[in-house]
Amino acid sequence: MTRNAPTGPPGMSEEDILQAMRDMHGYVDVTPGDFREIYELAYAHARDRLARTTTAREIMTSPVHCLGLDMAASEAARFLAGRGVTGAPVLDGRGVVCGVVSEKDFLRRMGARGAPSLLGIVSRCLGTPGCLVTDLRGLTVAEFMTAPAVTATADITAEDISSLFMEKSINRLPICDADGRPLGIVTRTDLVRALQGQR
Amino acid sequence: MDYFRKMRGTTQSPPRVGAGEVAWSFAGAFVGIAAVGFLHAGLLDATGLGLLIGSFGATAVLVYGAIKSPLAQPRNVLFGHVLSALAGVAAQQALGEVVWLAAALAVASAIAIMHLTKTLHPPGGATALIAVIGGDSVHALGYLYALVPAGLGATVLLLVALIVNNIPKNRRYPEFWW
Repeated sequence: MTRNAPTGPPGMSEEDILQAMRDMHGYVDVTPGDFREIYELAYAHARDRLARTTTAREIMTSPVHCLGLDMAASEAARFLAGRGVTGAPVLDGRGVVCGVVSEKDFLRRMGARGAPSLLGIVSRCLGTPGCLVTDLRGLTVAEFMTAPAVTATADITAEDISSLFMEKSINRLPICDADGRPLGIVTRTDLVRALQGQR
Repeated sequence: MDYFRKMRGTTQSPPRVGAGEVAWSFAGAFVGIAAVGFLHAGLLDATGLGLLIGSFGATAVLVYGAIKSPLAQPRNVLFGHVLSALAGVAAQQALGEVVWLAAALAVASAIAIMHLTKTLHPPGGATALIAVIGGDSVHALGYLYALVPAGLGATVLLLVALIVNNIPKNRRYPEFWW
């Protein structure tokens, strides 16, 4: 009989535990059920500890690709697409992060209402003659970026980054030095990878 | 109805150990109890102090048959027996007239003391009980009972466990000392 763990780490079955106990030789003085409980609790503790002790410095992607304030929207789109990213910080003339451009900013400009999404645009496109992207022509990054940027210093913990993502509904957090110059960026992907214990 | 549902159990029993494990458990227990029994005979002749008490059969189960168990580690084996013996003698001396009460108090306080000192060792309960029900020869020992047979017997079983349990490649003992 195999029962799967209702919660916790990757679907460990009781049969897996029994097999592990056989592998260990000798009598292991714990029931499979107790072992699973210990494992799940320990896993949760490890995850919490990682979230509390892991900092942006360890998990950020660095260096980070940045956009300029006076870049044209078309150029910015090409820049992001070319690097396979969905957003980037924007630097002012002094090299300080002053905003962020992401897919959402493009979508918003293309007339997406409410929560901007690709499907929102698709549905609008299908009902509108012409091309929505036209609205973006002639715009510079400065005109449609999200500003001011939500940024943090390198010692912010994974836990705090996670709550910032939730609170501000953002997907990336530029990490800056004390002067606001970019050191790297933490994306949702970086965060998930860190909490899974991988680098 | 949670109360009754809890009686159904939630998991299954651990797997059966391999033949090698069975053989080494047998060998350890045989040598361990033989050693205690041998000393018992010698001591008994010379001094009248016996060494072979029932609770050592239970200790043998743990230190030769379940050697990874926290209950089977040296700290637990030695102090479990000694502290329980003290609890048993104290209960016997205080309430020896009322055997059922002295017995209950001996075992219950032995468990409590072992818990508090992180030395839980189930055979300690038997050691405490024997201090009460062991008859005149045990009662006559007084607190010496905690050293001989309890402490000395546990030490002998422990030494044999250290020697025998570390012979096979995939066995090791202890998991911890302290």
